[in-house]
Amino acid sequence: MTATAPSMPTDTKQRVWDLPTRLIHWLLVALIAFSWWSAENGEIDWHIWSGISVLTLLVFRLLWGIFGSSTARFAVFVRGPRAVRAYLRDPGGWRSAGHTPLGALSVVALLGLTAIQVALGLVSVDEDGLNEGPLAGLVSVDAADTARGLHGIFFNVLLAFIILHVAAILYYRLFERKRLIGPMITGRAELNPDAEPMRPVKWWVAILCLLVALAFSRWIVAGAPPFGT
Amino acid sequence: MHKALFAATVTLALLSACKPAPEQANAANSGANAAVENAAVPVSAPVGKEEAAKIMHERHEGMEKIGKSMKALGREMMAGTSDLATVRSSAATIADLAPKASSWFPAGTGPDVGKTHAKAEIWQKPEEFAAKAKDFQNAAAAFNEAAKAGDMTQIKARFGDLGKSCKACHDSYRAKHAD
Repeated sequence: MTATAPSMPTDTKQRVWDLPTRLIHWLLVALIAFSWWSAENGEIDWHIWSGISVLTLLVFRLLWGIFGSSTARFAVFVRGPRAVRAYLRDPGGWRSAGHTPLGALSVVALLGLTAIQVALGLVSVDEDGLNEGPLAGLVSVDAADTARGLHGIFFNVLLAFIILHVAAILYYRLFERKRLIGPMITGRAELNPDAEPMRPVKWWVAILCLLVALAFSRWIVAGAPPFGT
Repeated sequence: MHKALFAATVTLALLSACKPAPEQANAANSGANAAVENAAVPVSAPVGKEEAAKIMHERHEGMEKIGKSMKALGREMMAGTSDLATVRSSAATIADLAPKASSWFPAGTGPDVGKTHAKAEIWQKPEEFAAKAKDFQNAAAAFNEAAKAGDMTQIKARFGDLGKSCKACHDSYRAKHAD
C-alpha cells in the first residue's frame, strides 16, 4: 500500500492488485461459502450476519471502484463491446495491468449478482417467521416470503457464474499458460515491459471507504430509512 | 487435467446439492414402495394412500397458516407500538392449530409416501417427537393466554418461548429439502 512501486532489479513482477482488492476478493470467497453452509445448516443468525458482511464488502468495493487504485476502478477497466470484441480477436494485443475487457464483464457480473442476492436476503423472512433480513419490515409478509424463495433459487445463478469464473481461470492456466490465482494472492504479476502499471492511491483512502461502508451497513442493520417502520 | 476433472466433479456435486423444492403433499408420487419401511415403526398401522394425501395436505396448509401468523406476530413484536387485536387473533389461530399438529403425523405420511419436508426420524423416535409436539402445544396455549391478558412484556416472553418450540422440532424433524 505504499504510494510508489519501487522497481526491483531481481523481480520483474509488477503490482497489479492492491491489498484492498485482494482482501475483498478472498473475503467474498470465504463469506459466500460460509453463507451457503450456514443456510443449509439452519444457522440463520450466522447467515444473516454473513450477508451483512458481504453487503459491507460490496459497498466498500463500489467505493474502491471509484476512489481506489487504477486497476480497481470501474471507469478504468470496464470497457465497451468494441474493446471486448477486439480483445477476443487478439488477446495478445492486450497489454495493460489489470482486468482484460472480457474479465471486466465477469467482475461486473459477479459483483452485480452478489448484490442482487444480498438485496433479496435483506427483505426475506424465514419459513417460520423466526428470523428475517433487516429490511423485511419494509415490505409485506407475502413479499418477504417471495423474496426468500427467490433468494434460494437465485443462489444457483450466482453459483453458476462462480463456476464459470473458476472454469475460466482453469482454462487460462491449462491452455493459455497464464497463472491468475498467484497475482490475486501476492498482488504482483509478470507484465509486458511496456504495460501501463497500476497507479495506487494513498492508504487512508481505503480507510475512508471502509468507514463509509461500515456506516452504510450499520444503517441497513438498523432497518433503514428512519430506522425501520 | 486431473485438476480440471476434480474441479468439475466438485462443482457438479455442489450443484446437485442445491435444488430448492417446495413442500407439496404429492399423493401422485406415492408409488408402490409406500409404507414398506413404516412396517418397522412401533406405532399404529400406517394410514392408506388417500388418507395420507389428505392429512399431508392439511398438515401443509396448517403449518403454513401457523407460519403466516408467526410472521404477522414477528412484525408486531418489532413495532414500537404493537396492535393487540392482531396479536390476539394470530395467537388464537396458532393455539387453535397447535393441538392438531399432533395428529398431522400418523405413520404412512412420511417422505417415503409423498413429497414432504417431514423427516423419517419422526416415526423412528415417536416418543421424542410427541414430546416436542406437546411442548409446542403448551407454548402456543401459554402465548394465547398472555395475548388475552395483554401485557406486552409477558407477550414477548411467551412469543420467544413459542418460537423456540417451533425451532426445537424443526431443527430435528424438518428436512431442508423435500424428498
